[in-house]
Amino acid sequence: MIKIEDIARPAERLTEVDAERLAPLPPPYDGADALPPRKRLTEKARANCDSSLDGFLAVGMARPQTEAEERQLVERFLAGLDRLLSPDDNWTFLQQLTLSLDHCARCQTCVEACPIYAASGREEVYRPTFRSEVFRRIVKKYTKRGGKLLAKLKGEDIEVNATTILRLLESSYRCTLCRRCAQACPMGVDNALLTREIRKLFSMELGIAPKELHEQGSALQLRVGSSTGLKPRVVKDTIEFLDEEMREQTGLNIHTPWDKPGADVLLIHNAGEINAWPENPMAFAIILEAAGISWTMSSDLAGYDSVNYGLWYDDAQFARVAVRQAQAAKKLGVKRIVLGECGHAHKASMVTADRLLSKEFDIPRESSMTFLRDIVLSGRLKLDPTRNNFPVTLHDPCNMVRMMGIVKPQRDILKAICPQFREMTPHGAENYCCGGGSGFAIMSSFNFEDWRFLVAGRTKLKQILEAFADCPEPETKKYLCAPCSNCKGQFRDLFHYYGVWKKSGILYGGLVELIVNAMSDLQTPYIKWEFH
Amino acid sequence: MPPLTLALIAAISVFLLGNLCRLVKAMLMPVHLRWDLYPIPKGPRDRQRYGGSYFEETEWWTKSKETGLGGEVAFMLKEVFFLRGVFENFRALWIWSLALHWGLYLYMAAAAVTVAVSAMGAHLFFGRTPLLNAALVACLTSCTLGAIGSLGLLATRTFNSRLKNFTSHTTIFNLSLLAAIFGTGLAALFDPNRGLLTALAEVAAGRHAAAAYSAAIDCHFALVAFFLVYFPFTHMTHMYMKYFTWHGVRWDDLPSRFDEGGPEDLAKNLARHVSWQAPHIEGGPKQSWANVASSTGQQEKTEHD
Repeated sequence: MIKIEDIARPAERLTEVDAERLAPLPPPYDGADALPPRKRLTEKARANCDSSLDGFLAVGMARPQTEAEERQLVERFLAGLDRLLSPDDNWTFLQQLTLSLDHCARCQTCVEACPIYAASGREEVYRPTFRSEVFRRIVKKYTKRGGKLLAKLKGEDIEVNATTILRLLESSYRCTLCRRCAQACPMGVDNALLTREIRKLFSMELGIAPKELHEQGSALQLRVGSSTGLKPRVVKDTIEFLDEEMREQTGLNIHTPWDKPGADVLLIHNAGEINAWPENPMAFAIILEAAGISWTMSSDLAGYDSVNYGLWYDDAQFARVAVRQAQAAKKLGVKRIVLGECGHAHKASMVTADRLLSKEFDIPRESSMTFLRDIVLSGRLKLDPTRNNFPVTLHDPCNMVRMMGIVKPQRDILKAICPQFREMTPHGAENYCCGGGSGFAIMSSFNFEDWRFLVAGRTKLKQILEAFADCPEPETKKYLCAPCSNCKGQFRDLFHYYGVWKKSGILYGGLVELIVNAMSDLQTPYIKWEFH
Repeated sequence: MPPLTLALIAAISVFLLGNLCRLVKAMLMPVHLRWDLYPIPKGPRDRQRYGGSYFEETEWWTKSKETGLGGEVAFMLKEVFFLRGVFENFRALWIWSLALHWGLYLYMAAAAVTVAVSAMGAHLFFGRTPLLNAALVACLTSCTLGAIGSLGLLATRTFNSRLKNFTSHTTIFNLSLLAAIFGTGLAALFDPNRGLLTALAEVAAGRHAAAAYSAAIDCHFALVAFFLVYFPFTHMTHMYMKYFTWHGVRWDDLPSRFDEGGPEDLAKNLARHVSWQAPHIEGGPKQSWANVASSTGQQEKTEHD
């Protein structure tokens, strides 16, 4: 068995993901031979990076080449530890961090709650407590008075060297921050928070983060306006084109308003929807127009992209994006911001940014789930549930449900418009993460996708298949409602990897598509039953 | 004052001071960003049951927020007296842990009653004997449960595959210490000359002679004194720090617009200096969080058009 202190010891691999040991999936997904071949790390990646945690790379930080470089890395890491414990540098999460560092009883009550640990066949390095304990021992040894001596006496000595640091970095990207373990902890300790703080140390002190989250994510968003790279002119053109296409397809007069001062609602989508699932923002436009809502979109910096990747790895980037979004709303003088179908954007804007925005920028922020529930149940739309007479199940995005308590509105809608709606087990605040949480859905560098599909998304896939166990045949088309852009990204890639559309006929999509599909005014069904 | 009384008073003083320091330190932490985790035991009972929140309400920002502690207290009582979390998630550990915790609770109750009765002396006109008998039963039960619980936990922590990799020297030491306290407590209770509680009453009243006690009683008091001094420096303070982990973090869902002290806390936090060193932070001795949050992290070069 791998010991905690092994994190610092040289070894080619601490662990391997063995397909035979993974939690079993139901037929026809059982058996290792049903899986696509694994992606091999390139020669360059193997030479430059340390994949000795588990053979996968998510970040792929370059290994130091000389002793001086290693010494510098260790010094910077330890300086980052000090800043993490400083009230000035880390006022944002210092209390949560110290509580979770100091009060774990190592009782392992939380471990079975982790879908990654369970899916992996209970690999030690994926225990939610493994990374936390490594980090806890390092903090105690290197930041407390007499820490080095006590670490030796207690048998908790972990040497901080390049191997430890590089493995800890990779390990912080083997957790989706879903916080199921925190729910199970009797002390209130939060392993996900510790994981996030490790990521933060690397980003804010060493400038190291997955490129999808930083360079191509929050930094790009702050530079051009969106993490998709879409600039305002392009996004407006794209939406205009989509409006036109919708008009042709539905016969409805759809026209997305931009920068309309004094509108009741500023709608902010995850801009990824515009590129990957344009039917989602278009469905929003159809519903808002049909319900007679005064609404607008904003073309200001970050005002048309609700994502805030800093939530997962960096407080400064988080604050910058949150401030920009609030400024966009303030400038237009809207009465409220409504967040589209994006879980982490909900949490970032409505919960985490709550104590970051001064009163003048504290524009009310509302979930599209409650907003849509009120529209649907008000009778303002003519809806015919028989148009949705196919099996539907609901995925609960962790950020929206476990971390915000928005559980019922989306169910009220589905119960009203989907006669064959069924729940997954467990669901609601106890749901399983899609496996793409905390940025994983957009991370595909090196061979990380293999890990994402083999391990991170496995428990969810099993759960989805079980929800449709009464109609497993691909001929019966089924709908997985996932009201979150990142979750949809994960389902798209996960379903593609396992061939779910072909083998089981399960399509994933958002909530608004189901609402529009039920609208009697439409001549043809809105949902196309085409996998993309 | 007799040395044993002095030693116990000193130990209790360190215990109180140490715990007070921890509490004050936690209370003086900067106001943090929210990190809610549902279910939160606030609001209508039905909503609590499925883990819903005020965010489900239409125009939630126009409605008053519940700040009552009833739901939280009810939840905590289940956690403290029944160990609900461990019961639901790790049954093999729960039975031993429950025994140990009840051993501690009953021990504290028995000691408190004994000391109180001793302190009241002649002023307690009735109920003295039943109270002392109840304390004796509680003490006997507590030492039995505590010894079984701590030994059971030692065995589980050592042999259970889910636990053994995480069982450190400290864990073994802590459980052995508790087992020794409860073990000597049992031995002291059955001391033929003077029972544990009688000795405790005498020590509390400062009426004992050091030589009068058996080795079991002396040893027990020494271990208890050590435990009291040691306790504030261990994770066992989770006993009361749960107030912060639960009430102060995961259940702390009050929106800032309803928090009168919010603007002042925010101003204080935004004025703090940022010294993180990654280039994109653009921190430095003169950079505040307000400056950092209002910059773009790329020397203000935006390509936004």
